[in-house]
Amino acid sequence: MKLLLTGLNHRTAPVEVREKIAFEEHALPGALQSLRNRPGVIEGMILSTCNRVEIAATAEEGADATCAVEEFLAESRAVKREWVVPYLYRYDGPDAIRHLFRVASSLDSMVVGEPQILGQLKNAYALAKEHGTLNGFLDLVMTRAFNVAKRVRSETDIGESAVSISYAAVELARDIFGSLAGKRVLVVGAGEMAEAALRHLKRAGVSEIVITNRTRERAEALAGEFKGRVIDYDYFLDALHDMDIVLASSGAPHFILTREQMRGVIGKRKNRPMFLIDIAVPRNIEPDVNKLDNVFLYDIDDLDKTVQANIEGRNQTAIEAEEIIREEVERMMLRLATREVAPTIVSLQEHLESLRMHEIERMRSRLGAMSPQQEEALEAITRGIVNKIAHGPITELRHSAASPDGAQAMEFIRKLFRLGNHS
Amino acid sequence: MLDTSIFWLRAAACFYAIGLAHSMFAIIRRNHSLYNAAFSTFRVGVVLQGVALVELAMAYGRLPLDNFYGTVDLCGFLVALVFLFVEKRYHFAGTAVAMFPLVFLMTLTAALERPVATWPNVGVRDAWLIVHILLVLAGYAALLLTASASLFYLVQEQRLKRKKSVSWLEKLPPLATLDNVISSSMGIGFVLLTLGVIFAITWASTESIPGWIYGGKILLSIFTWLVCLLMIILRTSAGWRGRKAAVMSLVVLGFSALTWVAHIGLRPVLIP
Repeated sequence: MKLLLTGLNHRTAPVEVREKIAFEEHALPGALQSLRNRPGVIEGMILSTCNRVEIAATAEEGADATCAVEEFLAESRAVKREWVVPYLYRYDGPDAIRHLFRVASSLDSMVVGEPQILGQLKNAYALAKEHGTLNGFLDLVMTRAFNVAKRVRSETDIGESAVSISYAAVELARDIFGSLAGKRVLVVGAGEMAEAALRHLKRAGVSEIVITNRTRERAEALAGEFKGRVIDYDYFLDALHDMDIVLASSGAPHFILTREQMRGVIGKRKNRPMFLIDIAVPRNIEPDVNKLDNVFLYDIDDLDKTVQANIEGRNQTAIEAEEIIREEVERMMLRLATREVAPTIVSLQEHLESLRMHEIERMRSRLGAMSPQQEEALEAITRGIVNKIAHGPITELRHSAASPDGAQAMEFIRKLFRLGNHS
Repeated sequence: MLDTSIFWLRAAACFYAIGLAHSMFAIIRRNHSLYNAAFSTFRVGVVLQGVALVELAMAYGRLPLDNFYGTVDLCGFLVALVFLFVEKRYHFAGTAVAMFPLVFLMTLTAALERPVATWPNVGVRDAWLIVHILLVLAGYAALLLTASASLFYLVQEQRLKRKKSVSWLEKLPPLATLDNVISSSMGIGFVLLTLGVIFAITWASTESIPGWIYGGKILLSIFTWLVCLLMIILRTSAGWRGRKAAVMSLVVLGFSALTWVAHIGLRPVLIP
């Protein structure tokens, strides 16, 4: 049995191709059955996300399953095989296992370390299990892939840092305040960026959201969405000392918050820290505000630099994660190889046992009835001899299982003991 | 006349002690429930200290400023009066946390010019000294924790201000957590040092060591305690927190280290 993986992703195929090849959720059960019915295919699983479509399958040795899978993909997505083939990558054996481990660990994702892919892979696995298209070798590999992903997450910092502007702002707020529970946020302006940041802040547990905007209706709409309250734009400075986080995103062409104003605000707050996020262009807050004690100002470029540094950090961490993957692929291959030799070991043991029983019967017919003590002694002696004979070949089989000579050693032992063919 | 004067002074110290208890509760537990009682007894203490000063002045025919004890007595009385005036005029009770211990210690020092009693036995004397040492060392440990948290605070604050991503620095606790550690350990350190100073003053007084208060090491200890007190005042009333508080706590640790170094080898001198 062999494992193979065929697919395309954001690196090999543009979005126009990906959207054509992606499977709709409702079409997946039928597609799984259709995949399994292809000649040579034993198991199958389909992972379909916005960034990748991958088909993992196990197939009989000798069957041209890669061709069968490609044909399945083309037919089920109603495209010509020649059209899709240039975008596809194909892996088999250890390379397919490595790829699956990398996908599960989010090393193959567009944003390395993003957590969604593991959930998507688990869903694909659950669906294949549910429809009975995954129940043996591939099941074993997938279960291991989830464990590898867990190991990568726990042993490296791959998913630690924020890689979006709005989430980076929340992470920075956490570096200042710790928990955001009980913190108050003032939003000046009500643009889309503010909305995205508010969503993250709300999820992080801020207790109160206050919104101000030149156009009150827009502020009210946003306040309604986030269960916040609206204050008049002309008076937002008066409310500032009560706020812990200020998110400025207004379209004002000048600074709406200066260093001198902030000096007064921070004094009123008895120096309790404040985090100012200025995502407006042109900027809303005078940059010198950052020089004040206990005031932390980040503009859009600062946040972008933080995100870029985090992405770079994740890429560095990915090197550590690749080492874990290498280790795990080796371990998996050893496990599979040991699994491969198991039938030979069982055959050998059965063969030797039948020889032993045959010889005992022959002995009995010659010697006649034996006392229970004699029976016991004969049983012990013959069993000991058989075990000693079997020990050498079994040890050799297990040792050579993971080596390139493994198959040769197995064939040699089968021939030597006349164990017959196996498949 | 001198005996009744010292009696009133010691009674005043007892009343001020309620204020000290309030400060300790307020610093450690952030509990201000004792404030009203402490403020009332403080006022009684001020009256009694005034009576003691008047009696002494009448006995000498002039202000009793012949030595350190007389000076510190009058100074403590004036600090108490200024506090009462500020409190009445501006309703500014925030400084009470620091003023109550200050006035209490000044009055206690003045009240112990003459020993209250002698040691019942050597065991009590030694135990008293050991408690003092333990309190002071525990106080230093708390201040060391304050200083460590302050260092981390300054590093984390710089990282956030300079907006530079250094991966190992990102593992530091949030500023608010560090600030809470600074605040709590500083408060505990101050309380322990204050108790240590009280034990030291009463020990020295009972020992009847002539001119003990003028010793360089003692003055350095008192100065360190005053710097610690200043830190508490700035934190509680002026709202010093963050960077300023962190730097201040490092200064306090510096003085504490100096005081500790100055006292190395003192025990054989104290216990012959």
